[in-house]
Amino acid sequence: MRTRPFLKRLLLLAALSCPPLAPAQGPLPPDSLYQLGARLTTQDGAPAGLDLHRGHPVLISMFYGSCPAACPMLITAMQAYESHLDEASRARLRVLMVSFDAARDGPAQLAGIAKLHRADPARWTFSSAPDNDARRIAALLGISYRRQPGGEFDHSLLITLLDAQGRVLASTSKLVGDTDFQARLRAATN
Amino acid sequence: MKTSARIAGLGAALLCCAAAPGSGNPYVRVPGNPRFQSALLGDQAGGVAVADFAMQDHPVTNAEFATFVAAHPEWRRGAVAPLFADSAYLTHWQSLDAPGEPLAGQPVTRVSWFAAEAYCEAQDARLPTWAEWELAAAADTTQQDARGDPAWRQAVLDWYSRPAGALALVRQSPANVYGLHDLHGLVWEWVQDANSLMSSDEAQKFCGGGALTLRQKENFAVLMRVATLTSLKPADTTRSLGFRCALGFRCARGLS
Repeated sequence: MRTRPFLKRLLLLAALSCPPLAPAQGPLPPDSLYQLGARLTTQDGAPAGLDLHRGHPVLISMFYGSCPAACPMLITAMQAYESHLDEASRARLRVLMVSFDAARDGPAQLAGIAKLHRADPARWTFSSAPDNDARRIAALLGISYRRQPGGEFDHSLLITLLDAQGRVLASTSKLVGDTDFQARLRAATN
Repeated sequence: MKTSARIAGLGAALLCCAAAPGSGNPYVRVPGNPRFQSALLGDQAGGVAVADFAMQDHPVTNAEFATFVAAHPEWRRGAVAPLFADSAYLTHWQSLDAPGEPLAGQPVTRVSWFAAEAYCEAQDARLPTWAEWELAAAADTTQQDARGDPAWRQAVLDWYSRPAGALALVRQSPANVYGLHDLHGLVWEWVQDANSLMSSDEAQKFCGGGALTLRQKENFAVLMRVATLTSLKPADTTRSLGFRCALGFRCARGLS
């Protein structure tokens, strides 16, 4: 199907007036995490890939919904890191939380967590991944977790900053005051 | 590395129990133990619960892995992104998709955790967990738990101190009490939770030696395994690290 000249001009105009941060299509660099064909389910019940925020800098971490203390702290910490950005930078940033407890963290549970933390739904995505994909995502990020007999998880807390193509720029296990990480975040969203 | 669509429910159970793709390397049933005394996991009083499972007869061979690569060309040497396998991945193979004759019956090595995961998933199976592997490997030819036997320990340690030469073929040593071959004496093996065996805190304690929190300190053979696995990143490959696949309870029940 040929594009009509008018539509073509309109598209060109649109492209010029709001340039994308980075290409959200085309081949991925060899060190991009987005090469992993993981199958996420979001709080809206929609299927998504790890690359759903491709084109934007992304903060990504893993958690589980019924986590009593550590995960709420993790989410709060990520909100604190983004709160130090100016408004324009923050608007460019996306946040992806991946639960490794897909059995219990269905869309309704995830939506509840998003609401509880007043996470900006336009920029924050809460999702869960099936066991095999969760293991792979954790392996790529360097996050370790283990299900305990009672249904709790032992897991490491790690926040990772990805560039628009899914490459790791920086990561931190400090929930507060990692000034180097904050600086990297600022640079990536500028 | 898109994964194939899952076949749900009974269909998957039947398929994996039939073990069609692994027919040359069948799945052998291993009874679980609700209170397995792991050298690493669980608490000392209660142990760790391991459900019934099944595990492949021997480590996956080069020939078996070549069949997988032929069906999944994204796992050919050179086609895999460095994120999922380092530059030594399958470099010992004669060509991109064929190991060559002398290697065919040897365990496949120079495979990353990601590659091992993908292989098992293509069989509707998975990698064994550390606890499953440890339970299976605690056996000798006559007893399910030979770990207290000095002769067993010495035999395992002797392998560790043997100079690394060419790998032997699989199934050259006698099967253990479950009918499994080569859990010791041939290659290291990836496990599903290799990435999570120890938090960095625990790893430091392990390296510190004096502050060792692992139980059964005398079980040095097990600790060697743990130390080896935890020193690896999931994209790493080595000339002595291979794997075999496992199946969960539902599938294991259907096996003899």
